Amino acid sequence: MSQETQDIETATTAMTSEAPPDSRTRRYDRQLRLWAATGQAALESAHLLVLSSTATSTSILKNLVLPGVGTFTVLDDAIVTPADAGNNFFLEGPDSIGKPRAQEAVRLLGELNEGVQGHADVKSVEQLLTAGKGELFKYTLVIAHNLPRSQLERLSQLLWEDEDAPSLVVVRSAGFLAEFFIQQHEHTIIESHSETAPSLRIDKPFPALLQYTQSLDLDALDPTDHGHVPYVILLVSAMERWKKEHNGLVPQSYPEKKAFKELVSSMKRKLDEENFEEAEAQAYRSWTETKVPSEVAELFSDPKLQNLNASSPPFFHLLAALKAFTAHPPYTLPLTSTLPDMKASTDAYIGLQKLYKDQAELEKGTFKSYISPEVQIGDDIIDSFVKNAHALKVIRGSSWNSIDKDATALANAVTASPKQLAIHLALSAASSLASKTPIPLQGEILVLTIEALTQEAQSLLPPETELPEEFEDTAGEIARSPTADLPNTAALLGGLVAQEVIKMITKQYIPISGVCTVDLIETWTGIL
Amino acid sequence: MATLVNGSATADWPGRYFHIDQILDKPGPRTDPGFAAGAEAPFLRDQAKILVIGAGGLGCEILANLALTGFKHIHVIDMDTIDISNLNRQFLFRSKDVGKSKAIVAADFIMQRVPGVEVTPYFGKIQDKGDDYYMQFNLVICGLDSVEARRWINATLVNLVDPENPESLKPLIDGGTEGFKGQARVILPTITSCYECSLDMLNKQTAFPICTIANTPRLPEHCIEWASVLEWPRVHGDKKMDTDDPEHISWLYKTAASRAKEFNIEGVTWSLTQGVVKNIIPAIASTNAIIAAACCNEAFKIATSSAAYLNNYFMLIGTDGIYSYTFEHEKRADCPVCGGESLDFPISMEVTVEELIDMLIEKQDIQIKKPSLSTPTRQIYLQAPPQLEQATRPNLEKKVSELVPGGGEVTVTASTLPFSLSLNIIYN
Ligand SMILES: [Zn+2]
Repeated sequence: MSQETQDIETATTAMTSEAPPDSRTRRYDRQLRLWAATGQAALESAHLLVLSSTATSTSILKNLVLPGVGTFTVLDDAIVTPADAGNNFFLEGPDSIGKPRAQEAVRLLGELNEGVQGHADVKSVEQLLTAGKGELFKYTLVIAHNLPRSQLERLSQLLWEDEDAPSLVVVRSAGFLAEFFIQQHEHTIIESHSETAPSLRIDKPFPALLQYTQSLDLDALDPTDHGHVPYVILLVSAMERWKKEHNGLVPQSYPEKKAFKELVSSMKRKLDEENFEEAEAQAYRSWTETKVPSEVAELFSDPKLQNLNASSPPFFHLLAALKAFTAHPPYTLPLTSTLPDMKASTDAYIGLQKLYKDQAELEKGTFKSYISPEVQIGDDIIDSFVKNAHALKVIRGSSWNSIDKDATALANAVTASPKQLAIHLALSAASSLASKTPIPLQGEILVLTIEALTQEAQSLLPPETELPEEFEDTAGEIARSPTADLPNTAALLGGLVAQEVIKMITKQYIPISGVCTVDLIETWTGIL
Repeated sequence: MATLVNGSATADWPGRYFHIDQILDKPGPRTDPGFAAGAEAPFLRDQAKILVIGAGGLGCEILANLALTGFKHIHVIDMDTIDISNLNRQFLFRSKDVGKSKAIVAADFIMQRVPGVEVTPYFGKIQDKGDDYYMQFNLVICGLDSVEARRWINATLVNLVDPENPESLKPLIDGGTEGFKGQARVILPTITSCYECSLDMLNKQTAFPICTIANTPRLPEHCIEWASVLEWPRVHGDKKMDTDDPEHISWLYKTAASRAKEFNIEGVTWSLTQGVVKNIIPAIASTNAIIAAACCNEAFKIATSSAAYLNNYFMLIGTDGIYSYTFEHEKRADCPVCGGESLDFPISMEVTVEELIDMLIEKQDIQIKKPSLSTPTRQIYLQAPPQLEQATRPNLEKKVSELVPGGGEVTVTASTLPFSLSLNIIYN
């Protein structure tokens, strides 16, 4: 980067960071600390479609309107019933009864955040499905709560056929039990916010780091300076000595590693030099070989890399450049410029930090030279990609009912995750029964017997697979409350689903893969 | 007044509890035999009295959930007023409410939105109230961000238990969140593990050593700490720093930024300054919704016996997928609040009273800020009143072994905590 661009960057950062924040930033302060301005911008340009305005649907929306999703549309042709007015916080009790449910919900949700656009669409799901793709494709993501199975199948298919279609979140609940699933083709994540720290390359010191270490005569330092040499330098220095005495090899066996730590310790001048204590604690970093992490190396065989072209997403162009970068010495990911804090004097630390920054900048330049010239990718994305290269993620999703068609997966789940499977099967069975005719009704309550649920669930499993033992109790709970949208279950699902939607939209943190099941009797969540 | 109109149970309309009554009208396969199908609603809707502590991120959610599930008599305590940074999650508040009492605005909103629910706010501290006040509730739910307040209410409810009077045992449901993480737990005072039993599970706060701040700053945070801990008192003397005052934050920011410039340290921003001096914890609506719902679901199950309640701890991490863990946290026999046994405390013969005090402040399962120490026969060091502090101050430099025999007992108290800790001093 030229000096000039750096100056402009510093100047702009200074402008935005010096003054007290504006009221919008103050409002969102507590979440900006989690997903920053980039995540917020993604959230604000999203448009969500939510099918139905049940208590669960409005709970989900509440947690998306508050952080400032750009636009949401509620599609619902229902009229508010006395039951709706009793369990939904975004209806005004008896005053809302008889009014279009979507309009009431959108009006009250809208009061939570003036910056959010809400639309009520009083069409039926049937009309939406008939209107087809054109209508659906304007949304970023679609959320459906307790949709009858027949409609869900059509919706899921419409959105699965096309790779660019919005993702679909399928949410089901009855009483204390619930599940949800995200149907998505592909989800790429640069900022996964991994807690794994990138390598400092102590085992493979870059030339400037090695040179600096060699030029430093530890024995000539005064006692204060000696106690303030950063552990990175101490380890590089100790390893140089070790390698000289061991044919250029790093410690291999446990006794060797112990001996290396003793060597580090022997370099102390006083017993309580904290920088040496840190060096001993971090010693493993000097013999652990810095390689491309296996999770990242796996991404290099992604099919998208084989057929890269100008219209491929920037992520894959960057991944291709990363693959090329790692094929050259030192066969590692580009160096990170972020140095953890360590016991050191200000000058020693800042000096070391500069070495890392300069080298990182150099390697970023090399990385950039591998990016295909046919694409234009912004510097901020490249910076973020390089900074997070050690924790990149690609999620290849599946269609909504893929688990139900996967005989092996289901058979495995019977033994591996019986409780989760029981919830999934019982809710699936309830949903199939509800969309079959004639529906046995007693008053307003849908009657589902344990026998009917068992029979239906059995038919969802591959032949000769037995239902998990837990199924009977689970079915019993569904039979108890087949249509109950309980306020607490709705609120909990509202939180879980909204959180995953935020991760999807911001492309930060890692969303679930699989079916998330929830049991609020025993109070647990589990992934199937 | 709204409460008079709303206070009446006649506000119920036919079909209002269609969803919840499916649960209350019949048992599930795992429901306790003590559940009286169809007969639990009157207790929930007419009699149960529940206290919500905190009307912030968790509190707003808790109040809404309780009101919708049918609790009609809710009290809420919060000493805070509404700030603009609350509005991204505390959904009972609007821009026009900034500066008003959280408890009062939240109570009014719930009564307005959910007819027939009576919410009684108290704009003040939990410590203002005594045993008689806490005795009136059937359940207590906490949605607090302060460790100290939780320790206080936990100890108060444990002390309230009278074995002769079953009514004196108030289940305490506690929720907490931080970013995408959170936990909910059920505490049956004296019976299950209490808040104090699990103090060592708290994340340790990052504390920067004074010598780093003063002599060898490396991070922007070090410069900010220098500005707030060392420069503010030096320049402003006794004037108290108010981290809610933008002028004060601006001063700290400029002071920290100029120090950072002097040392070539990058990254001091206004937002970071505010984050460090206010110890800001990221907070979002979704995590609060999950944890508050888990808490209220336990309250509902306890009040209606419609299903077993949580035994006793649920934790959630939402950064990488959704990971949760439900387990029984064990009671500690040497818990100073519910355990009864004194805590073995090994120290060297050389440790001074002052060093012992530092150890008590530092130790993860104790964390007492300003401890006073005494033995059954003498006062070792008292933080207050001033005369006694002065009288006992010379002991600070003495070795503990000069004052306490091996195996001797030291009682630790602090004005912020309604209990005392009994240490069994062992010399090694
Ligand atoms: Zn305890």
